[in-house]
This record gives sequence, structure tokens and C-alpha cells, in this order.
Amino acid sequence: MAIRKRGTRIRIDTSTAVLNGFSYIFLGFFALACLLPFLLMIAGSFTDEKAIIKYGFRLWPPEFSTFAYELVFQNPDLVIGSYRVTILITLGGTAVGLFLIAMCGYALQRPDFMMRNHIAFYIYFTTLFSGGLVPFYLLMVKFLKLKDNYLAVVLPALMSPWLIILMRNFMKSIPHSITESAKIDGANDFHIFIRLILPLSVPALATVGLFLALGYWNEWYLSLLFLSPNMKYRPLQLFLYNLITRADFIRNSAASSNIPPQDIPMESMKMATAVVATGPVVLFYPFVQRYFIRGIVIGAVKG
Amino acid sequence: MSKTRLLALVLIMILICGLLGACGTAGEKEPADTPAETPSTEEPAGEEKQAAEEPEPDIDISEFVEISNYVLGDPPANDMVDKMLEQLNPILKEKINAHMRVEWIEWADYLTKYNLLLASGQEIDMIHASSTWLDFWPNVQKGSFLALDDLIPKYAPKTWAEIPQEDWEQCKYQGKIYCFPENSYTQYVNHGIFYRGDWLKEFGMEPVKNFEEMGEYFKKVKEVYGPQGVIPFDAHNGMSLWEGYIISNTDYVDVRVNTGRHKVLWGKSFEEPFELVAPVFEDLFVEYAKMMKDWDEAGVWRKDVLNFEGDTRANLRAGQSASDQHHSNTYRYLRVEMDELIPGSDLQMFAWCDTRGNLVAEPITHGATAIGRTSKHPERTVMLYELFRQDEEIYRLINYGIEGVSYVINEEGKLDRPEGFDSARDGFSINWWGGRVDKFELRQAWEWEPIWDIWAEYDKIVKKPFPYGRFVLDRTPIEAELSAISEVTNQYGPMIDFGKVDDPEKEVEDYRNKLKAAGFDKVMHEIGNQLAAYKEQIGEWPPASN
Amino acid sequence: MRAATSTSVPVRKNTSYVSLFRKDFSKNWMLFLMCVPAILFFLLFSYIPMPGVYLAFVRYNYADGIFKSPFIGLENFRFLWLSGDLWRITRNTLLYNIAFILLGNTVQITVAVLMNELRSQWFRKTSQTLMFLPFFISYVLVGLFVYNFLSFEYGTLNSILRSLGREPVETYSNPAIWKYVIVLTHIWKNTGYGSIVYFAAIMGLDPEMYEAAEIDGASAWQRIRYITLPCLRPTFVILLLFALGGILKGNFDLFYNLVGSNTRLYPTTDIIETFVFRSMIVSFNFSSAAAVGFYQSIFGFLLVMTVNWIVRKIEPDYALF
Repeated sequence: MAIRKRGTRIRIDTSTAVLNGFSYIFLGFFALACLLPFLLMIAGSFTDEKAIIKYGFRLWPPEFSTFAYELVFQNPDLVIGSYRVTILITLGGTAVGLFLIAMCGYALQRPDFMMRNHIAFYIYFTTLFSGGLVPFYLLMVKFLKLKDNYLAVVLPALMSPWLIILMRNFMKSIPHSITESAKIDGANDFHIFIRLILPLSVPALATVGLFLALGYWNEWYLSLLFLSPNMKYRPLQLFLYNLITRADFIRNSAASSNIPPQDIPMESMKMATAVVATGPVVLFYPFVQRYFIRGIVIGAVKG
Repeated sequence: MSKTRLLALVLIMILICGLLGACGTAGEKEPADTPAETPSTEEPAGEEKQAAEEPEPDIDISEFVEISNYVLGDPPANDMVDKMLEQLNPILKEKINAHMRVEWIEWADYLTKYNLLLASGQEIDMIHASSTWLDFWPNVQKGSFLALDDLIPKYAPKTWAEIPQEDWEQCKYQGKIYCFPENSYTQYVNHGIFYRGDWLKEFGMEPVKNFEEMGEYFKKVKEVYGPQGVIPFDAHNGMSLWEGYIISNTDYVDVRVNTGRHKVLWGKSFEEPFELVAPVFEDLFVEYAKMMKDWDEAGVWRKDVLNFEGDTRANLRAGQSASDQHHSNTYRYLRVEMDELIPGSDLQMFAWCDTRGNLVAEPITHGATAIGRTSKHPERTVMLYELFRQDEEIYRLINYGIEGVSYVINEEGKLDRPEGFDSARDGFSINWWGGRVDKFELRQAWEWEPIWDIWAEYDKIVKKPFPYGRFVLDRTPIEAELSAISEVTNQYGPMIDFGKVDDPEKEVEDYRNKLKAAGFDKVMHEIGNQLAAYKEQIGEWPPASN
Repeated sequence: MRAATSTSVPVRKNTSYVSLFRKDFSKNWMLFLMCVPAILFFLLFSYIPMPGVYLAFVRYNYADGIFKSPFIGLENFRFLWLSGDLWRITRNTLLYNIAFILLGNTVQITVAVLMNELRSQWFRKTSQTLMFLPFFISYVLVGLFVYNFLSFEYGTLNSILRSLGREPVETYSNPAIWKYVIVLTHIWKNTGYGSIVYFAAIMGLDPEMYEAAEIDGASAWQRIRYITLPCLRPTFVILLLFALGGILKGNFDLFYNLVGSNTRLYPTTDIIETFVFRSMIVSFNFSSAAAVGFYQSIFGFLLVMTVNWIVRKIEPDYALF
């Protein structure tokens, strides 16, 4: 890390060394435990269905097969279309949501803003009580007329009380003196927020933005409720969720349709769909990670 | 008092005011059970039953309308439905000046979505309905559907004439018709266990006719093929043999009051269906619990059967399981498949009714079509249904898709696959289960032909009609009890069904006590009363015509 | 650190709120404006549908709508206690959530702190990424893997036991084991995600404090004890208050996919939401669901108000509101 210049230090006391050793071991094991199921998933997606039934999930496919992927990508157009929808929803929702959250979070931590606690409570209260599914559905469908509209997935997830309060807390660590001196210089609150606070809040924005984006990426229930299957492209997670359940469906009700049941590699397909759905985010994560760097906040203040 | 708490108070007050305000208006309304009425039509009600050949001259179809048709299921990945609609819609335009749009209610969480759709008051014209799996009657009571009495005689005269009066009676709630039944479509969904005929022969056993023999087969399989890893009956949690055990060992008839995993209330017999019995409180249940425990210990199913979620049928197909449990309509196709996969496997079915001929017709509202309360074009929707059911060309389009692409009719007159058929590309399914009729149904080249002989036998023993066809349970006085009872059966059911208990007798005793505590007596009493009233209403039973 | 705490809020008991707000508004109208999107957002998506909880008190009739359906008092709540399981599911839900909150946060904090101690950039980044992976694996698959590991006949665990000449265990008939399986799975799945919050909080710290501590010769333990952990306290309190509000909610997927309908395990694994799920299958009823939601909300509300009040007494700056 740039600021602590660890490489240049010579003296390491014993407690630090012990702690370091412990950290490596503990985190190493934990990380491995987290990796294992993921590997199982990937291996499972490449395993022949019969081998899964026979041997269960293995870390290495006993009988290699790409049939599951062939089925998932049976309709590549659909997969790509779903990807595009998800990416657009994620980008749009995260960008707008993050800005609004940051703005509100900043205002809510200003010690001279007397209404801040009341507004915070107004926001927090919504986590305790909600109208429930039916009123929400009526609101979305009857009053906002958002059925079969991608906004139905974007809007309700723009903000959450948890992320606003989290943002507020992160911003608390930005010294109030920055705001005060800027006010003396005659800057207004919005300008202070845009010009001074946002650049100082990169780790906070990265964290909250990550959470928001993950929420959008993994979202499927709103899609299930409000985007009917008549839409050609629906978000990836729903598309894949449906692939999983549809395999179930074919098995259960083959008798009631006119199509004779087929051998669908259900288990390996579940794995393959999951790999397809998570792959991109897992690859994307390291890019966000760069922003979790100590010192940006304070360092910039001094600079 | 801090400001925050004041604010909290204010918010809650707002909430409460909202509630109270709502209560105020609620008081003025008339009580529940106010299903929607037909919008006033110029025609006087109770028109004479007649089959008109042509649309009556006073039917106005000058306005071109779009009709939505809500079906259950996932839309197919290919475009065969669209292709079918491309052919269907010009015909509809010509005949009734309308256009049909298919709306899918996908399987994922379908019950929530189906009910939300009805609750939201969105415009629905035609919609699939079912009294057995889509809460048809509760939804009628909640006012989801339109009463059709005034519309059907005028706009669907052939169907009106074709469906006998007693069948219409089964579609009525408080004297009004709320759906079109699937009343003349042969479909047996009576359950049983499929087993390997070749192995049975090998063991020198006779075809299985009861649970004891079934158990002998299982144990023999375990003994002979168990060492090779074959599971006698690879089951999963969702399977319960209790219902089969009742049907196989008694004359009881399912009242079809949903009480969770175990249906606790049954009719005494077809002849006395209004006399309620509760098999879980009889010795029968203890015997059953002991038998299942015995089977479990013998290794009939996996030790982890309660959590196993794998594909048991795939294991049957792979020869890893010696049995499977489902209904005869599944057997109809599975048998052919098994003959191909494991030649000589000679898959057999022990149907519950094989023991003593206890078989009762399915309610004809198992598959039905209703019209939404919010429909703007109920007349045209009824006309559309009439076409589905009376026009063979349209019937084939909506049921089988496009001829020459999705299906062909072979020289035997059976439905068959066209040359070069690729089910992913050409397969057609629209899940239209709301009005199939035998008169237009075609035999299928890929079904097991002898099933029709079995079903013909069933036809002889099946006692028609379904005794509770016109019985609509008013759940309101016992709603909470029914939920609680379901909870108890859902909890004790799986353990007893798979013998996962230490002492069956004690577990059964606990089960019964819990049922009592959940209000079993009240439920039995209430439903008994409602059935008695129903008996009065329908008069003579069994019907003289039988 | 916190240069200006709440000193600048002149709360005088006798001042009328209205005039106070007016003053605040005239001074900070722009801050207020910055909150307006959020205020409108929650008004629209949360407050407007909120009176819909009335659904819990009516016999819902679609034709009449929520507010004109007949009022039936607590009838929709009755199914909760009739089955005799209300206490059991409430207790299970509570205990599990407490375990998730306490153990979960402990592990998350530990991971974040240790992560901060790591020297190797590469190792830190890699392990952080790996820990994030479980978050992406849906519980359906987690359930499959757990079954694959624990199943009696073919499970990995029993294969190992057998090869060691030990007796295989019947995990799926033993309710006691599941407490641990579930808590472990929950921790495994959420640590990567949860520790990010703490890690970000540590990253926000002034590195000078660490440097000063090192110059003073503080040991690693002292550094953690006196610098890192205290700075995580506000974050923990917030997490806690959010978690408490939902203490009777959530985690349906976890329980449902791990336990399924294995009712033998219910004594230790049945929670409110799995219970409701089962009831819904039998008779689909929006009102019952609303009733349960209301019960969960009231419980969470009382708990949060109490805890927030306590926090306010001890450390006003940490309180949520």
C-alpha cells in the first residue's frame, strides 16, 4: 500500500508477525472453503448428467460433457439479449441510485441540518413496516402502469434505507471542516457535495455502488412479478431461473403436453446456468476492488 | 419525549388513520361473497336452450376487438405459438372479427401471480381455471370471474346444448355459471406405482394388486438387485402413499377438501358420499404407519428420502430404481419410453383402484375456462370459446399447432411427428387445458396403445358423476382451522409416510392429538353440515341414471 | 476525528418545533432539497402502499378491493396460534437471527481486521474475491451441495467416515446437527459480502493513527483493540439496528433449500417464513400473509425502538435516528 510503505519497513515486532501468520492461515482456509462449492459448480456444469446421478458432484468431471451449455445456449440470441437487459438495468439503476443515495447520505450527516434525524427516521421506518405484496403490486401495475416495463425492475430498487444510512455513516468520517470552510468561501451545499465531497468518497461510493449493482444483477423477483414472459428479453437471472424451473416443469408435466418427455440434464444445466449468470460479475469484481484503498479520503484532504 | 419518537408516533397515527378510515367505509358495504354479476345485457336471462347453426343476426361483431387468453405455463422457446396465431387470427377475424393474444403465467411462483393478476383488476378476457389446482371456487367467491348464464346460450349455443345440464350444475356458484368445464375429455389421472414387469416375472410373482404384494416386490428387489445399487422404490418427499393406501383398502371417496399433505376428510363410499369419515383416526392409519416403517427399515427407499430432490424418474429410466409413483396418464407415455430405454422392462402399473375398484371420476372443473370480471368483451370471448370447442380446424390449431410442421396425421389417423421433426424447433405447446373434447381428440402415435383398454375398463367401474361436483365449500367459518390442520398434516405426514418415526403408534397418537387441538372436530362438524345441506340441494343420490 | 458532533444542534425543550423547522429550512433548504428524491421515493414505494396492511384485517374480496372488503378483526391471525407452533417458529426465528447477527458480525469483523493486517496485496485481493463467491451461488445450489456432502448413502462425509472405518452418520434424521449446519452455511455465504462494509470502514481510517501507534510501539493486538475495533462500532450499531428490525423476517431460501420438507428436522429448523410458505400452498390467501407480515413488523418495531433508545442514551452519535 502506497501510504504505509510496508516494503520499506524493517522492524516487525513478534505480535505483528504472529497475527500475520494467523491472518494468512485463517483467511486462506476461509477462502478455500468459499472456492470449493464454486469449483463444484463449474465441474458439475461440465459433467455428463448420468455421471452426476451416479457419483454426485465431483471436483473434476468423471465424464466430460458440454451438453448442458449447449442447451443453455440453444438460443444464443436470447442469452445475449438477456445479458444486455441486465447490464443496462444494472448500469442505469446503479448510476442514478448511487447519485441519489450519496446526495441524501451527505445531507443526512450534516450536523447543522436539524431535520436530518427526522428524515433518517422517515427512511428507516420503511424497513419496519411495509404494505405487503398486494398493495405494492397494485401500485406498480394499476397506478404506475409499469407492467412489462423495465422501469418496474429499476425504480423500486433505486434506493434502500440500508444503503442510505450506510452512505451517511461513511460520509461522517469526512471532516465537517471541509464543508464549513467551503461555506465560508460562499459555495452552496450542492456544489460542496459535487465538487468536494464526492471525490473524497470514492471508497464509500465503491462499496455502496457495489451493493447496489449486485442487487440489480441478482434481482429476479421483481422481474418475475412485473415482466411477463411475453417480453422477448428479460433479465438474465430470471431467464436462468426459468431455465432451471422449466426443466423441472418438463419432467413433471410432460404427460399433459403433447411433447414426449426428453432427457434433460437437469443437474448439470442448473450448474451451467449458474456459471453463465455469475461469471461476468465475478470477473468484474476485481475492478471495483481497486477502490477499496485506504487513504484516498484523508490523503486528498491534505493534498 | 424526543422529536424522533414524536415523528414515529405521527407515522403510526397516519397508518392507523388509514386503517380506521378504511374500516369506516368497509362497514357500509354488504358482506362478503359478492361475485361479479354479468354486465347487463339486453337479452332476458334464462333463454331457451337451443343450438343455432349460424350466429344470430342480432349479435353485433362490427367492432374489431382483441381478446386476451391467459394460460398457465412457460412460453415455448421456439416461435410455433406465434406461427399458429398467424394462422388462427385471420380465421378469427373472419368468423368473429377478433384477434387473440396469448398471455402466459409462467410456472415460477404461478399461484402468487395468478392470484395477483385476479386481485389487481387488470383486464382479463379468457383465463384458465381449475377447481383442483388453481383455487377456482375461492376465486369465484372473491369475485374474480364473470357469471356466464346470460352469455353462453346466446354466444355459444352449440356448447350450451352440448354440455348436459348436470355438468353445467357443476360450474355453478349460488346458482350462476362461472366457467366452461372440460366435461367430455377422457383423461385418467388415477395414481399408482409403476414397477418392472420383467423383474416381477423373474421373482415368480403375480401382478401386484395390493400394498402387501407391492411390499414383497420391493423387498425382493432389494434382495436381488440391491447389491448392485438398485433402489426398490426411489421416492422423494413429495410422494405420499397414504391416499393410495386408503383407496386400495377402503371404499372411501376423496371429498377434495385440501388439508395439506394428508386429506383428513373422506366420504364413506360412493353410495354414501355425504357421510364423513376420518381415516387418520382409524386403525387403518396405524397399520399404514407400521407398514411404512417396515418398508423404510427394509431399505425400500433412500435413507435420506425426506431430503432427496433428485430426479427419481430418471433413475427409473436408468434402471437404478425399480419403481416410480404417478398417474396412469404418465404411464401412457412412460411405458413406451421404458420399452425403448430398457427393452423388455415391461413396465407395469399397480393402480390404487386395482385392489377393489375404488375409482371415482375427476371433477369436470379440473380443467376449465373462465372469463375475467374485468373483461370488456365477454360476448366475443364466449364466441371464441365456442370456436375452440366446435370448430375442428381451430381445435387442431390451438391444441396441436400447425399441421405438417408440429404434427401430421398418419395413415392410421393418429397424431404423428412429421419427417425431420425437431422438437426444439417444431414442438408446439400452449397448455390449453380448458376445453379439450374427445370428439376432436386424436390418438397419438407415441402413446402406449393398450392404455385405452385399461381406461375402457375404468370407464366401466368409474362411477359417474363426481359426487361433490356441485359442492362448493364455504371455508370462511373454518379458514384458520383448515390452515392449522394442514400445518399438522404437513408436519407429521412426511415422517409417517416414509417410516421415519421411532414408534409409529405413538407418533400417530401425537398426530391425532395435534389435529384435535387444531380444531379437527369443528372442521368435521362444519363440513358435515355443509355436506348435509348439499345433499338436500341435489336430492336423490346416487343419481338414478347410473 | 469527528470535529463537529451534535454540539451545533440547539435542542431547547421549550422551542416550538414549527419555528425550529422553519429556521432550519430557511438555512438548509438546499440540503432538504437534496433529500427530496429520497423522500419522494419512499413516499411512493413505501408509504403509499403502507395502509395496505389493512389487508391483514379483512376477508379480501377482489371485486371490492382492500378497503371495502369486510373487516374481520384478528381472524386472519388465528391460524398462527391454532396449530400450536407459533412459539416454536418465533423462538427458532429469533434464535437463528441472533446467532446470525452475533456470529456473523464477529466473523465479518475478524475477516475485515485480518484482511487489513495482510501484507501481501495479491493474497488480500485473491482471498477477498474468493470469499465473495458464495454470495453468487443461489441457495438452490447450496442446498444441492449440502445434500451431496451430507447424504447418507452417497455423501462425501460418509464416504470419508466409511473409508476410515467409522460408522456413517444419519445427518438428515438428526435435528440437533442442523443448528450448526444452518448457521455455518449462513456465515459461509454472507461473510464476503458483509466484511466489505467493515473493510471499507477501516479503509476510511486515518493511516496516521496507525503510524503514530507504531511509533509508540503498540503491539498488533493493541492496534486492533484501540484503533481498528472502536472505529467499527458505529458500523456495527447500524448493521445491528437494521438486522433487529427484521429479526423475525428473512432467510426463507436458506432454510427452505437446506431442510426442505424434512419435517423430522423441524423442531430446530422451522421458522416463520417456512411456516407461512406451507400454509400458502394449501390455501392461497393474501390476508394470512399480510397478517404474518404485520406480526413480524410489530415485533421488529418494538425491538428497534428499544435498542435505539438505549444506544441514544449511551452514545447519541451512533443512534440511527
